[in-house]
Amino acid sequence: MRYPVIEESTVRSDDPVRQDLPGGYAGSLLRVDLTSGRIWTQPWTPAEMRQYLGGAGLGAQLLWEEVPAEVGWDHPDNRLILATGPLAGLPVWGTGGLSVVTRGAMTNGATSTQANGFFGACLKYSGFDAIVVQGQASRWVYLSVHDGVAELRDAAFLLGKDTWQTQDALHARHGLPGHQMSVYSIGPAGENLVRFAAIAGDYGHVASKNGCGAVMGAKRLKAVAIARGTKALRAADPQGLFQAADEIAYDLKTNPTAKSLYEYGTLWGVLNLHGQGALPIKNYTTNIPPEGTDLAAWEAPSLRQGFDHRGHQCNACGMHHCHMQVIPTGPHRGELVDEPEYEGWAGAGWAIGCTDPVAISWLNTQVDRACVDVNEFGWVIGWVMECQEKGYLTKEQLGGLELRWGDVEAAARLLHMINQRQGFGTVLAEGVKRAAETVGGPAAACAIYTGKGSSPRGHDHRARWEEMLDTCTGSTGTLETGPPVHPTEFGMPARINPFDPDAVAKNVGTHLGRRHFEDSLGACIFTTRTLMENLCRALSAATGWEYRKEEAMHFGRRTAVLLRAFDLRCGLGPELERPSPRYGSIPVDGPAKGQDVARHWEQMLDVWYETVGYDRKTGRPLPETLRALGLDDLIPVLWGPENRRR
Amino acid sequence: MKVLRIIPERCTGCMRCELACSYVQTGTFQPARSVIRVAPFEAHTSYAPYTCPQCAEGWCMTACPVGAITISPVGAKIVLDDQCVGCKLCTIACPYGTIFYNPETQKAFKCDLCGGAPACAEACPTSAIEYVEAETGDWLGVFAATRAARHHEMQVAGAEVG
Repeated sequence: MRYPVIEESTVRSDDPVRQDLPGGYAGSLLRVDLTSGRIWTQPWTPAEMRQYLGGAGLGAQLLWEEVPAEVGWDHPDNRLILATGPLAGLPVWGTGGLSVVTRGAMTNGATSTQANGFFGACLKYSGFDAIVVQGQASRWVYLSVHDGVAELRDAAFLLGKDTWQTQDALHARHGLPGHQMSVYSIGPAGENLVRFAAIAGDYGHVASKNGCGAVMGAKRLKAVAIARGTKALRAADPQGLFQAADEIAYDLKTNPTAKSLYEYGTLWGVLNLHGQGALPIKNYTTNIPPEGTDLAAWEAPSLRQGFDHRGHQCNACGMHHCHMQVIPTGPHRGELVDEPEYEGWAGAGWAIGCTDPVAISWLNTQVDRACVDVNEFGWVIGWVMECQEKGYLTKEQLGGLELRWGDVEAAARLLHMINQRQGFGTVLAEGVKRAAETVGGPAAACAIYTGKGSSPRGHDHRARWEEMLDTCTGSTGTLETGPPVHPTEFGMPARINPFDPDAVAKNVGTHLGRRHFEDSLGACIFTTRTLMENLCRALSAATGWEYRKEEAMHFGRRTAVLLRAFDLRCGLGPELERPSPRYGSIPVDGPAKGQDVARHWEQMLDVWYETVGYDRKTGRPLPETLRALGLDDLIPVLWGPENRRR
Repeated sequence: MKVLRIIPERCTGCMRCELACSYVQTGTFQPARSVIRVAPFEAHTSYAPYTCPQCAEGWCMTACPVGAITISPVGAKIVLDDQCVGCKLCTIACPYGTIFYNPETQKAFKCDLCGGAPACAEACPTSAIEYVEAETGDWLGVFAATRAARHHEMQVAGAEVG
C-alpha cells in the first residue's frame, strides 16, 4: 500500500492534533467511579507513554498501584481497565485492539485478556487511550462515550439481554449502526456473576479469560458503548508507518505460520492439532476422533462450504479472517452466527464430543452471546458429560438433564442453567475446578484446570508441554507467553522437540515478555505474527521514538514482573503452578500416547525459573532481575523483612 | 475516464479506505473526515463503501451559485476552497449524498480522486474498490436491494420461529 505524500500546504486538518504527544496517542485516560458516578479524565505524560505503552503494560502498572491484596475480584475497589495501545486506529492490520486488565474471578489474581473488533479505534477517535473503571454502581448502568463526552446511563432496558441483543439495542438507542459504535458488554452470565463470564463486543470478539465478565457484573456495568469519534490521530512519520504496515502485511500473507491464518483464519487448527495429538477430544479421555467423524470435512476450505459466508473484519485489517455465517441446515437453519475460531471448534465441539460443524457453529455463538469463556465452557460441559457417563453425576443432580457426548442442545440447556444459576448450574457457574472440589470423589479427578484456577485454552496440552507450562506459571489468568513466532530472533532454534523438558522450558522462559509487548500495542495477536523488528518499526514511526526489539523485551519482562508481583501479593505462589490430575495425565492413545508430562514437571519448572530469573522457592523475581529491569523499587517490597519468612 | 468502481460483495467492512482517505484529506488518521464512507447493510453483516461517482450530470457543479466546483484534469469534480462560500446548495443537490460540509472551515468537500491516485483503492485489502476505465454507475443499488430483501426474509423467518 502506498499513499501520496502529503505536503504541508495541502494539509487541511481542522481539529487540533496534540503535537506535544508522541504520535498514535489520544493523550488521556478516562476514569469512571461507579460508586459516586464521577467521571474524569487523567492526562498522561510522554515519558509514561514510553514506559507503559498501553494495553497490558498500562493495565499492569495501574493494577499494581491501585488494587491492594485485600481488594478481591468482586470488591468495588477492584479496577476494570479497558485499554488500547499506540497502534490502535492507525492503518496497521488488526488495530482495533482491546486489552482487559483486572483482578479476575477465576484465579482471584491478575488478568490480561484481549479482544479486537473496533473498540480500540473508536476509543482513540473519541480522545482516550484507556478506560479505568472502579467502584460499584447502585443500579445497572452502561457507559456511553462519544467524542470526548462520557456518561453513565441507566441500563435497566438491557438487563437479561445477551451480548448481541445488547449491541443491537444500543445501536438502535443511539442511532449508530454498524461500525459507527463499538459495544462491549456482558451477557446474562456476567450479570449473574458466573465465574468464567466474559466480555464480548462487535458481534463475535471476546475478552474471555479469568472471569473478567464477572468483574464487570460485580460492578453492575452492563456495557461500554463507544461511538466512532471524530478526533484525529497523528503519526510521527506516516510514510514510515505505511512502510512498516506493508512489511507486516507482506509477512502475514507469505510467512507459512501466518499465511494459513490469512487464508482461512484458525480453521486449520483442528486438523493440525489433531495430527499432533493436541486436539482435546471428550474431556481428554481420548485423542481419537469419535467413530463416524469425517475428517475431510474438517479441512479448512470444506469447513466454509455450505455456509452463507460474510466477511466481518476488525479495524483496518486485511487478514479477512473473521466471518459471519448463516446456519444452513437443522433446527437452527437461517440463524446468523459467528464463524467459530479454533477455540470455538474445540470448546463447543471436540472437547464435548461433537464433530458436526453446523451444530458447533450454533453452540459456539450461544456461548459468546450468553457470554462465558468458550474454553472453560468446554471443560465444564465435557466434565459433566464424562461424569454422567461414568455415573459420578446423576440425572437427578442435573435436574433431569441427560448429557451424552456431542449433544449440543443439552449443552445449551446446561449453559442456560449456568447463566441463570439454576439448580446444579450454581455449582457449575463456579467453573470446573471449584465444581470438582464441591462434588469430590472420583469426579474430581476428571476435571481440567490449573492450580491457580485459570482455564487452559482449547488444546490437549499433554501434547503441547510448552503451553501447559506457560498456562500453569502464567500471571495473566491464561497462557502468558504463547507459542513463539520467530524464535530465531531470540537466538532460539526454529524447532524443538516438543517433549524435551529442558528445551520446552527454555523456550517458554526465553520468550517471556514478547506477548506482553504485543498486547500493549492495541493490535491483534494474529497480526503481530511478524518479526519483532517490524512491530518496533511500526511503533517507532507512529510515535516518533526510536524503539528497538531490546526495549520491547525489556518492557515486556517488566510488565510480566509486575503481574507476577501482583499475583504473589494475591497469594498465588509457585505451589499452585501445576496442572490438575487430568490436565497433566498421560494420553492413552493418539500421536502423544504415553508422553508423561508430570514426570518432568519439576524439572521444567527448574529450567523455566532459572531462565526468567525468578526465585524457584518463593516465585519472586530475584533482586538482580528487578534491578536489570529498572524495578529497584520492588526489591524492598518483595524481599523486605516482612517477606523473609515466606 | 477512470472511475472508482465499487464491488460491494468484496467489502469486509474493515474501514481501511476511510483511514486512507482521511490521511489524504487531512494528513492525519481521522475517518470522520473521510469522503468515502462505509455503510452497513443487513443489520451488521454486510458492508460496502460509497463515494462520489463523479456523475456525468454533475449536480453539485450545476447547483453551485458561485462556480466553485470545477472539473480537475483527471475528471473529478472538485471544490475550489477560495471560491466556495459555504452555502451548502451542492450538498442538497447531490442525489448520492457524497459531498459534505465542514462547519469548521465553512466549505464543502468531496472526493477528488486524490489527483489520479486514489488512496482508498490502494488501501482496500480485498479489491472492493478499483480505479479503472469504466462508465460511472450506481454501484450499490442492486446490492442494497438484494441485501435488504434477504435481511427481510431472515427477519420474517426468525419471527416465525421465535
